[in-house]
Amino acid sequence: MKNKKIKAGNLIIHIILILYSIITLAPLITVFSSSFRTIKNQASPLILFMEFSMESYKAAFTKMAFPVVFMNSFLTTAGSLVVIVIIGAAAAYPIGRLQTKLSKFLYYFFIAGLVIPAQMVIIPVAQMFNSLNIPYTRFTPMFMFITCSMPFTTFLYAGFMKGVPVEIEEAAYMDGANLFKRFTQIVFPLLKPATVAVVITQGIWIWNDYFFPMVFITKSRQFSLPVAMIQFLGDRENPAQWNVLFASCFLCALPLITLFLIFQKQFIGGIAAGAVKG
Amino acid sequence: MKKKKKHKSLVMTNKMFWFAVPAFLMYFTFWIFPVFQLFRYSITNFNGINRNYDMVGFKNYITLYKEGTLFHAIPNTIIYAVVLVAVSNIIALALALLLNANIKGKGIYRTAAYLPTLFSAIVIGFIWSYVYMPGNGMIATIMDSLGMDGSKFNILAGFKSALYAIIAVDIWKCIGTTMIIYLAGLQTIDSSLIEAGKIDGCNGWQMIRLIKVPLISATITINVILSVINGLKAYDYVFIMTNGGPGKATNTLMYSVYKLAFTEQLMGKSAALSVVAFILIIAVTICMLIFMNKREVEM
Amino acid sequence: MKRRKILSVLLVTVMTATMLFGCGKKNDTPADTTGNSSGGEGAANTGSTGEAADSSEKVTVTFMLSGTLATEGEDFETEQMPRLVEKKFPNVKVEVTKLPDDQYYTALKTKLATGEAPDFMWVQPRYAGVNAVFPLAEAGYLTDLSDLKAAELVGAGVKDFTYNDKIYAIPCGVTFLGTYYNKNIFDKYGLSVPKSWPEFENVCKVLKDNDVQPIVMGDKDMYVMQFGLYQLAANMIYPENPTYDDQLRDGSVKFTDEGTWDKVLERYGSLYEKGYIQSGSLGLGASQAIQKFIDGECAMTFDGTFNLQAINSSGAADFERGYFPLPGNEEGEQLYTAGAPGAGPAIYSESENIDICKQILEYWFDSESDLYKAYESCGKFVSTNEGAVVEPLYEDFMKLYSEGNSWYWCNQAWPAGTENEMEALFGEMIGGAGTTVPDITKGMQNKLEELLAE
Repeated sequence: MKNKKIKAGNLIIHIILILYSIITLAPLITVFSSSFRTIKNQASPLILFMEFSMESYKAAFTKMAFPVVFMNSFLTTAGSLVVIVIIGAAAAYPIGRLQTKLSKFLYYFFIAGLVIPAQMVIIPVAQMFNSLNIPYTRFTPMFMFITCSMPFTTFLYAGFMKGVPVEIEEAAYMDGANLFKRFTQIVFPLLKPATVAVVITQGIWIWNDYFFPMVFITKSRQFSLPVAMIQFLGDRENPAQWNVLFASCFLCALPLITLFLIFQKQFIGGIAAGAVKG
Repeated sequence: MKKKKKHKSLVMTNKMFWFAVPAFLMYFTFWIFPVFQLFRYSITNFNGINRNYDMVGFKNYITLYKEGTLFHAIPNTIIYAVVLVAVSNIIALALALLLNANIKGKGIYRTAAYLPTLFSAIVIGFIWSYVYMPGNGMIATIMDSLGMDGSKFNILAGFKSALYAIIAVDIWKCIGTTMIIYLAGLQTIDSSLIEAGKIDGCNGWQMIRLIKVPLISATITINVILSVINGLKAYDYVFIMTNGGPGKATNTLMYSVYKLAFTEQLMGKSAALSVVAFILIIAVTICMLIFMNKREVEM
Repeated sequence: MKRRKILSVLLVTVMTATMLFGCGKKNDTPADTTGNSSGGEGAANTGSTGEAADSSEKVTVTFMLSGTLATEGEDFETEQMPRLVEKKFPNVKVEVTKLPDDQYYTALKTKLATGEAPDFMWVQPRYAGVNAVFPLAEAGYLTDLSDLKAAELVGAGVKDFTYNDKIYAIPCGVTFLGTYYNKNIFDKYGLSVPKSWPEFENVCKVLKDNDVQPIVMGDKDMYVMQFGLYQLAANMIYPENPTYDDQLRDGSVKFTDEGTWDKVLERYGSLYEKGYIQSGSLGLGASQAIQKFIDGECAMTFDGTFNLQAINSSGAADFERGYFPLPGNEEGEQLYTAGAPGAGPAIYSESENIDICKQILEYWFDSESDLYKAYESCGKFVSTNEGAVVEPLYEDFMKLYSEGNSWYWCNQAWPAGTENEMEALFGEMIGGAGTTVPDITKGMQNKLEELLAE
């Protein structure tokens, strides 16, 4: 009797989830299917997968110089993430642990940055780069990626830090562990779920961000994937070009989708390993 | 109590602040200092390109007030934020609770919910322009095939509907992230508490309301604050999908800031609007934070 | 205790250092590689030191403009132009970035602030838009090109790029705003190209009565409203007062004056009122509108010569395209077209490669060069050179232009931002938000005064 009830309940859950998934995926699937069309095909995009042509992908791949821009994107994203996790978690340590006025100030100080959109301050930021004489290379946008990730990262780490029991650290202190050791060997590993969340959320925006690379890079060989992609996005010239645009969108998102599918298992594992008393 | 305080001074020393130095330096140089610079521009007539400009005092602020730019953009921004926060958090929390249950194929559902997040805003804006397109767009075509009159569907042209249409896109996109954070929060709940709840005879709904939700109150704070901020600085989809139109119906604060600075070349006035927006958003965020943190403790 | 203190200080130093040098180091390596190529002067003193043993050392010239990559065939700016320049100047490498309009404006403006703008940038005549030549020249960002031979070859258009008697960009030919129409539909209903406003209204009426949507516009991208409005203004404002825009600037006329812009806005608005332009145009994007036109769903659309490629791409229906100037004139009056010199390349004043850039421009605008021929045949502008082959669609326009019956686009004379106010308010009017024509002209006048005050 009880089993039946559970099964019926599960069925409802499945129906809800399937409906939700359909709504979520419908636009993406439609677009995905039209990216496999030949450039001349003008039939309604809702006729899904009516042909499989790699023509659009070929065009996008070569016009974007995919391997080059992919490497640029990969290096800047990965490099930024490493720095973000290290300095972000470190900054959250005093913020999450101490109850002084200074730590409160830092907390709000970092959060304040969340509310500033990049477009708003880009001119003063650019002037700062200019006055510091920072050279413009494919890695220059990393400065901004790291900076802009700080608010979210410290905010998230500080929030999760509350879930790490103080007692563990107190015990370590008794055993003679110093601050650095306590942080790197006890607190940081316990923050793994937060680290995963930071890597995923920040990794995605950094990977997708076209704004900073577009603004700080002038040489097309140094561009990242999204900048190469938006070159197809001119809003007026060629509607027949949608297929190529969509193909380039998917080329841009493909590495992320692949990574996410792999990461997903680790993500669950990470949470299980870091499970702490709430 | 006394003991704890004593310990704190020994274990949690002020030396910890050194850990924040690298992040602080970087953040100050490339983010906070430029914001101060912006404050300075707000009392000039800088046009963004010409390096010769004059101090004009509070003229920019006065024009903003007189013209009513503020009164136009602020209601839109607030509607945007409120709808975004409410809808996206409720759906994301519900999804996370469902996905946290032991059901088959939850990995697939999770991926489905998360996929939109992997695309950049500009791509999503473009895709949804097609979805909303009147006549041959996705929704119109689907309505036609279901026997409804799809030719009437033109949501982005309506002065009332356009803003909500844009918010819907933002919700569609941000649910994935919000849900993942909720999931992470739910995973940290100690299973013994759930077991205890079961023994006490909680049904599913009670379990959620009395045990799970209170236990992830910190996560709720994080998510609500993040979506409030996202909503208040909404800009991307307005920029890509409607350019503030029809008329000025979808003008948000940040879109006005952008437009003033980059199309109208009024960097000074744009900076003044930024300052106003900045103060507004900070005030709202801090109030929310204080309120939420208080609730967290109570819960 | 003390040891711990030292340790933590050390740790922080190390962390800061790793962070800074970590970035710094990564920054250096590519800077070296690109440094070799972008070190401009390197090419001039080749072989003077052992360091420059590599004789293939190249000068990299950067070029930024707005537009979309062509997906079929070679794109002129990003593919043909670099190839042809590199053929002519073997030591030069051209790096081209083509961005959508809004992104281009943002990037250009910010790059100027970073002090590292591209060597070549694409600028608009007079005051038109963010990349307008006058404000950029005034701020000192552009190189004086007056001494170039290319400047002489360009002809009349050059005056729209001349600020304080110096030429700052090399425009090419002319671009027109007009009305693309579906010849098959026109033939089917026995319609001919209208020569005056009443005739045009009649064409719309006949089509409407036969259940054909006369005009499609993608007003969600509000800039397209300019396409129709400026054509009307060319017939209704400037013939009566050629110095209208100068007078706007000195305040002797106002947008709100009766019988000027109110007439234009009313006339254009009537197309919406009567349903000649499809209802709900505010929800349709510009490229979506073009798609509807090439799919044969509508008989006409207002657009510019710069969009010919999109208009000519194949859609669901096969039909012959035609192009005529929107007649805003009364019966029996002279017809005027809205034609203006197109945008053109300018050179950044702090570029390290000014000399080589100038040589490239000389080559580009030498009417005998391969580069110029490729440019001319890409169809982005209408050549005004003598003996040039004119695209048959544009013949009527060229005739009006050469007779002097042509006016520039209004926004080239207005401070950037005025047209956006006009578009937003006009959008409110046609969308039924209760905005009236006097509200629009008043809003335009206020915006103009505000922008001029800066």
